[in-house]
Amino acid sequence: MRIAAQLRKVSSQWRALLGAGLLVLAAAGAAAQNPPLYTKWVNYTQANGFPAGEVFCVTVDGSRVWAGTEHGLVLLEDGRVKKIFTTADGMVSNAVMSVAVDKQTGDVWIATFGGASVYSAGQFRNYTSLSSGLANDLVYGVAVQGKYVWLATTAGASRLNTYNGSWSIFNETNAPFQEPWAYSIAVSAKKVYIAAWGGGVVVYDIAGQYWRPYTDPDGEMEIVLYRNQGLIHNIVSSVSYNPDTKMFWASTYFGLSGYDGRNWHNYLTKDSGLISNFINGVQSRGNEVWACTQGGLSELDYKTNTWVTYRPDRKTGRGEVLITYPDGKKSRMETPTSLAHNYILNMDFQGKDIWVATAQGLSHGIRQP
Amino acid sequence: MNTQSTAVARLCILAGVLAGSAWPQSALSQTTAPSQATGKTAGQPAAAAPYANMPQQAVPYRRFRKPYQEWYVAPSTLAYDGGARSVPDGDLAHLQAVNIGFLGPLDKDNYDSQYGIPMLHGAQLAVEEANARGGDRGKPFALLVHDDLPLWGASSMAIVDMYFNQHVWAMLGSVDSASTHIELRATLKLELPIMDTATNDPTVTETRIPWLMHDFPDDRQQGYALADYIFNQRKLKKIGLLQVNNRYGREGDRIFFDTARRMRRQPEVVLKFTPSDTDFSSQLHTLNASGIDGLVIWGDARQAGMILKQMRAMGMRQPVFGSSRIAYPEVMKIAGPAAEGLVVVTPLDPTRTDPQWQQFRQRYQARFHTGPDAYAAYAFDGMNVLLAAIQKAGLNRGRIMDALRDYEMKPYRGVSGTAFFDYALNDIAPITFAQIQNGQFVYWPEHRTDWKSKPMGFAR
Repeated sequence: MRIAAQLRKVSSQWRALLGAGLLVLAAAGAAAQNPPLYTKWVNYTQANGFPAGEVFCVTVDGSRVWAGTEHGLVLLEDGRVKKIFTTADGMVSNAVMSVAVDKQTGDVWIATFGGASVYSAGQFRNYTSLSSGLANDLVYGVAVQGKYVWLATTAGASRLNTYNGSWSIFNETNAPFQEPWAYSIAVSAKKVYIAAWGGGVVVYDIAGQYWRPYTDPDGEMEIVLYRNQGLIHNIVSSVSYNPDTKMFWASTYFGLSGYDGRNWHNYLTKDSGLISNFINGVQSRGNEVWACTQGGLSELDYKTNTWVTYRPDRKTGRGEVLITYPDGKKSRMETPTSLAHNYILNMDFQGKDIWVATAQGLSHGIRQP
Repeated sequence: MNTQSTAVARLCILAGVLAGSAWPQSALSQTTAPSQATGKTAGQPAAAAPYANMPQQAVPYRRFRKPYQEWYVAPSTLAYDGGARSVPDGDLAHLQAVNIGFLGPLDKDNYDSQYGIPMLHGAQLAVEEANARGGDRGKPFALLVHDDLPLWGASSMAIVDMYFNQHVWAMLGSVDSASTHIELRATLKLELPIMDTATNDPTVTETRIPWLMHDFPDDRQQGYALADYIFNQRKLKKIGLLQVNNRYGREGDRIFFDTARRMRRQPEVVLKFTPSDTDFSSQLHTLNASGIDGLVIWGDARQAGMILKQMRAMGMRQPVFGSSRIAYPEVMKIAGPAAEGLVVVTPLDPTRTDPQWQQFRQRYQARFHTGPDAYAAYAFDGMNVLLAAIQKAGLNRGRIMDALRDYEMKPYRGVSGTAFFDYALNDIAPITFAQIQNGQFVYWPEHRTDWKSKPMGFAR
C-alpha cells in the first residue's frame, strides 16, 4: 500500500519507468527533476562466452564494441561476441588496457601490458620498446589525434606520427611531468590531456607545442586543503575531455575533479552523490560526467547537480539506482537487471546507450525513453 | 644508550592501547600502539591523531586552517570492492609449488645490489624455513627471482611475467621507489599482492591501492625523527642540507625539509651532488660560508664518508646527521676518525640481544656466511607475513590481500623488531638512531619530544 501510494505521486516519466520494470522503493526526492535513467542491463560474462575476469576497457566504434580483458581483445557486433583476438592472432599481448579507433582509417589501436598493437586491414602490427619509439611496454592508454597516435606508458608518453613513422617520447626530461608514469590519454582538437600517476594532469597544446601541468596545489598527499582548490590529488587515474562543455575531467583515487578553464569543481562522497572516492575512470559528454568507481557507476548531471549511481544490489542481485538531488535528498530504486559488477573500470557511449567495463564482465546499459 | 635500555624505551611514544584487537601475532598480548591508533581499532571511526605519526609541528597548514579532507586516517583507506575474492581458488593439488615472485636489484654492477642481495637472502631464508615446516599444506613455496635493472622502467615487465607466465600468488620487492611504483600501477590492474620491504619512498603507500604492504621505515619516519632530534633535542637552528641528486635524495629529503620549515627551522642552504661525485669542496665551502651549525646528508655511506673526511679536513666542526643508507660501516672505513659523532637514523639495531634477533643472525650467518643487515631482516619478516597470509587465505589473491589487511592498526613482531601498520598498511613504528662513538655505531631508540612515555614491553 505504501509503495502504491508513493507511485501515485511520481511523474509520468516514473510511470513509464515502472512499466519497464523499475520498482521505486523510496522516493524522497521524487518530486524533483529526474534525469534519464538506465533501467535495463545486458551483461556479457563468462556465462555467455565472454572471457573471465576483469574488463579493463571498452571502446565503441559505431555498431562495434571493443573490450579489453586479460585474456584478449573482444569484438562484439550486434550484441554478440564475434571474435576474441589474442596473441595467437598476432596481437602483442593478451592483457588489453585501452583501445582507440582512428576514425579516418578505421585502424584499431590497442594498448597492452606487452606493448602496443594496431589492427589494420585484418592484420596486427606490433610496437614494443625494443622495436619502436614506445617508451615502455606497459601501455595503459591510447588515443588518436589527427595523424598522431598517443600512448600512455609507465615511463612517459609516446607519440607516433602515422604519416612518417617517427616517434617522440615525453617524460620528466622534456616536459613538466612531476612523475613520468602516464596512465590515460584524452584528446581534443587543440590539446592532448595526459593523466600522470603522481603528476596530475599534463596538457599539451598542439598549436603552441608547449606543455602545462595541473597539479594538486596544496602539495600534500594526505590532505585536500580546500574543496575546489584545484586538482584534488596528483594520483590521476584517467582524464576525459568534454567537447560540449569544453571542460576536462580527471578521476583520482581521491575524488573527482573538473576544470572549466577558470574554476575547478571537485567532488567527494561526503559532499555529493559520488558513490566512492576511488575512481578508475571518467567520461563526459553534454552535461553528463560518468565516474567509474569501485563502488558503482556514478553519473553527475553537471547542469542540475543531480547524481545517479548504478550498482548491483548484492543481496537481491537486482540493479540498484541511487539518486542524489541537488538539495541533498536521496531516493533509491531497483531494476530487474543490473551491472555485471559494482567495480567499474571504464565506460563508453553508444548513442544514448552506455557500455561499462566491470570487474566481472561487460555491461550494456539501455536508457529508457 | 645501551641495548638494554633500548629494549625498555624503544617504543615509548604510544598513546593508546589496542585492547581487544585480534592480533596477527598472538604472542603480542599487551601492547600499545603509535599515536595514530589512539583509542581506535580497525572498523571504528578514524583516529583524530595526525597521519603517520606526524609531529604536530609538521602538520601542513596547521597555523592556517583545518584541511577539507584528510586521507589515510580511516579504516576505509584501503577498502576494496573488486572481484578478486570471487576468482576460483588455485588448485593446490595440481601445483608443484606455490610460486612467489621476487624483484630486487641483484646485478653486482648495480649499486643498489648492496641492498637487493641481502633482501633476496632474507626472503630466501624465510621461504626455506617455511618449506622445512611443511610449506603450504604440504606443497613447497618457490621463490621466482627477477633482477631489478637500474635502467629506468626496464623491470616494468617483471610483474607481468610473474603474473601471466609464472602464475605467482604474491610478490616481494623492490628497493627502488620508481620500480615499486611501477609494480603498484601494474598490480592495480592485475590484482597481485605485493610485500615491499625496502623502499624508503612514503608515497608507495599513499595511493590507496590495497594490494601493497610496506614494512620498512620510510622517509616520513626518518625525516620526522631527524627533525625532532636536531631541532628539539639538539637545539640546533641553522642547518644545511646536502643531498644526492637522484630519486632517493630528491624524494628522501623532502619530508625533512618540509618538517624543518614548519618547525621554523628552514635549512639555510640546500645543495646537491651527483652519485658519482668524489670532490665536495664546492658544496662544503658554500655550506661553511652560510654559517650553519649542523649538516644533514641524504645519501649513501660511501659518499657520506667522503663528505665527512673532506669537511673535517677543511676545519668544519659542525655536527653531521644522516639518512638510513649512511648507517653502514663503510662510512667509518672511508672517513676514519672524521666519522666520529655522526648521527644517523637506521631501520635496525643489530646489537639487540633478544633471542629472536640473535637466533635469526645465527641462522642467516650459517646459510649465507655473512651477517644480516636491515634489508635482510625486513625481507625475512615481510616474506613471513606474506607466507602466513597465503597459508591463511589459500590460493586466492583477493583473500591474500585481505589477510595482509588484517594487520591494519596492528603490530607484527619479527626479527627486525616490532612493526606497526597504519590504515595504509605502512609500517609507522618508531625507528632507531645510531651515533659513531669510538669507531663503532651505538644505537638508541627514537624518542620524540612530542611523545608521552608508555611502556610497550618490546622493542624494535
